[in-house]
Amino acid sequence: MEKTLPKIVRKTSPYLRRPKASVTRMMRDVTIALLPVTFFAIYKFGMAAIMIIVLSIGAMALTEYVYYQIVDKLDGEKFKLKNKSFSLYNFSVVTSGLIYALTLPDSTPWFVVVLGAFFGVFFGKLIFGGLGQNVFNPAALGRVFIFVSFGTMMSYNVDSVAGATALGMLNNNHFDISVLNNFTLINLFTGIGIPGSIGEMSAVLIILGGVYLALRTSFEVRIPLTYIGTVILLASAVAIYKGLGIWYPVFHVLSGGLLFGAVYMATDPITSPITKGGRIYFGFALGVLTFFIRIFGAYPEGVMFSILIMNMFVTSFDYYKWTNQQITKKQKIIFGIVVLVTVVITIVGVSYVG
Amino acid sequence: MIKKSRQVRDYKALDKTLPTLRYVNPDEVFIHLQNNRCKTYDVYVKEGDHVLLGEVIGMRHGGFFEQPVHATISGTVGKISKKFHRTGRKVDAIQITNDFLDTFHESVVDRTDEEIKKLNQDEMVEIVKDKGLVGLGGSGFPTYIKLGTKEKIDTVVINAVECEPYLSSDYRMILEHPGEILEGLRYIMQALNAKKGLIAIKSKKTPLYEVLTQLLKTRYKDLNVEVAKLGNHYPQGWEIEVFKWALGIEIPHGELPMKYGVIGFNVTTTYGIYQAVKHNLPVYERHFTVNGDAIKFPQNIRVRVGTSVKKLIELSDGYDETQKEVIVVMGGPMMGTSVVSDDVVVSKTTTSVLIFKNVTYKEEPCVRCGSCVYSCPAHLEPVQIMNAVKRNDKEVMKGLEAFKCIECGLCAYVCTSKIHVTDYVRKAKRLVG
Repeated sequence: MEKTLPKIVRKTSPYLRRPKASVTRMMRDVTIALLPVTFFAIYKFGMAAIMIIVLSIGAMALTEYVYYQIVDKLDGEKFKLKNKSFSLYNFSVVTSGLIYALTLPDSTPWFVVVLGAFFGVFFGKLIFGGLGQNVFNPAALGRVFIFVSFGTMMSYNVDSVAGATALGMLNNNHFDISVLNNFTLINLFTGIGIPGSIGEMSAVLIILGGVYLALRTSFEVRIPLTYIGTVILLASAVAIYKGLGIWYPVFHVLSGGLLFGAVYMATDPITSPITKGGRIYFGFALGVLTFFIRIFGAYPEGVMFSILIMNMFVTSFDYYKWTNQQITKKQKIIFGIVVLVTVVITIVGVSYVG
Repeated sequence: MIKKSRQVRDYKALDKTLPTLRYVNPDEVFIHLQNNRCKTYDVYVKEGDHVLLGEVIGMRHGGFFEQPVHATISGTVGKISKKFHRTGRKVDAIQITNDFLDTFHESVVDRTDEEIKKLNQDEMVEIVKDKGLVGLGGSGFPTYIKLGTKEKIDTVVINAVECEPYLSSDYRMILEHPGEILEGLRYIMQALNAKKGLIAIKSKKTPLYEVLTQLLKTRYKDLNVEVAKLGNHYPQGWEIEVFKWALGIEIPHGELPMKYGVIGFNVTTTYGIYQAVKHNLPVYERHFTVNGDAIKFPQNIRVRVGTSVKKLIELSDGYDETQKEVIVVMGGPMMGTSVVSDDVVVSKTTTSVLIFKNVTYKEEPCVRCGSCVYSCPAHLEPVQIMNAVKRNDKEVMKGLEAFKCIECGLCAYVCTSKIHVTDYVRKAKRLVG
């Protein structure tokens, strides 16, 4: 009996691939890590949260879908219901939409949600060529767009005595300890009984998500660590200088969108540098910017702005003459000096402000 | 997955435990007259001549060296025809039909231990040169040039790491011939006047460690040889990684390890040196792995140099017939060459043939996760080089030192998006060389 032998085809080495690695796995992990925060938001805000989340994801996915269909049409391809570039299949658009939704306050009007989602995904991602090409984090771009354009329409629905968010109050008087009378650390840590955006409040759930991502190695743990570490360092320096005590740095970490931004937005691999060193400097720069905007800026919150600003500098972090796969001794020394100088600048600045 | 990952699944379970099959009497062998280093050749025999095992039948001419070609069986010389070499090129090969007598040539005489003790470096180099010994791990670099180094060598390192997945021929080699390898190491140390020897193995290969230490404790008490357990990652077998892990010596790109007082030999080469010095034999047999996920019975075979790979695949029950397409790889799965036909013959430097199912990986856009940057053993940034290749920006390719790439394939292996990064880096390497 004549056996049919398999055809021999030619390929180039290597012939193996890491079995478990895939973009889908990475993006799905981020979505899974966001689930506790999402459930907490729904538990706390009910229908309002569900509406915001559904609208955000829906608007982003629809924008992307329509965009790719139009692009394919222009390229002269035949219309297919299932578009090949559409990133719903690898969870990327779901992740963006969910992150965006969770940064919004619960009272955001529906058209603002949709507008921000559209702006974020279109100008943040599609215009640059889709997944992997974007300069800005789509979620952060959409959030900042509506924050700047429709800021007055979004007030925080407050269920405690205070009339503003913790950071909002602190913005009026930077070093007023009495603020903390309204917000106990337990409140800030669990997210119960404090105002804020629907997903940013519960520090413990965000950290839980972060730990999950770290265990699954689906994000770069150096960025949130240096980011939060830098804020703690600068806040501690200010606290020591002003004699404010331990509550001050802890308060800075737990309030506002810092944890959420550090864990879910700054770590977006597409909009962060690719080397180990670059990622550490990136996290440091984010921390400095966030703290400076909070202390010296007009806005109470600086996480979104600092992420967008640093997104622009990612290409410089990756400039071929400046990058190095390993962190050299020279880099360590320069980085140490930069950290010291930053601390000094902060203290000098605070002495003028306060 | 964003992480430094040099763990490569090794798929060695089955064929590692099986004893090596002896297949030393092929009907005919084809001996390469050209290889990747030697383009021209002379033949000293003509069709119909009767040759003996170990007889010099020709001479390969390389750029700066010459390599004698030896008959690996006794028999009748046939025609010169084109056969595939492991590098994927078609080269001239001379056919010898076996007379199944295995008559050794008169040059094949054993040296006594006293004779060997008296040999100095130059004589040793002469023997190794006469027997045409080259780096048998796959490099094919002439061993006599290495052995004839004028630098002062402190440590001789035997590289038995075999970090490529699927391959286990070196593993079986040590298990079955530990004494010969230690003896070969003794000759090298004698030639180079080195004080210390070191055998580098992966730390999970406990049987090898036990075999070697047992022998060192008993029969080779006088040898100052240490068995070093190195890491289990890939590419631990890269010479520079071996030196770094075993001795803590970091050798910069482009410099020879001899300058730093160390020299590395592959374990099969060491066995070859033993054969050459002790028995005055050329490399006429070698351990050969047949493995892969589309072969029915993976195993190690001891073969004559010049045996047809097709025959060896048949001996391993052939291809998996459920597959429509297979990939035939000469060498390891990470760095080996894919050939267009199984009409390949085993040369001295061929370690294995692997048959894989033709899996097409779906490439997704790069998400800049940085896994390739974290994992690269040569400290490059493969993704940046890839982007530079896409833009055809030669200055950046040079700036990113693409020429340092060792083509280990790890960047493509770890890629989250399953992009063939290695191909891009290889292209950059060719462009800026």
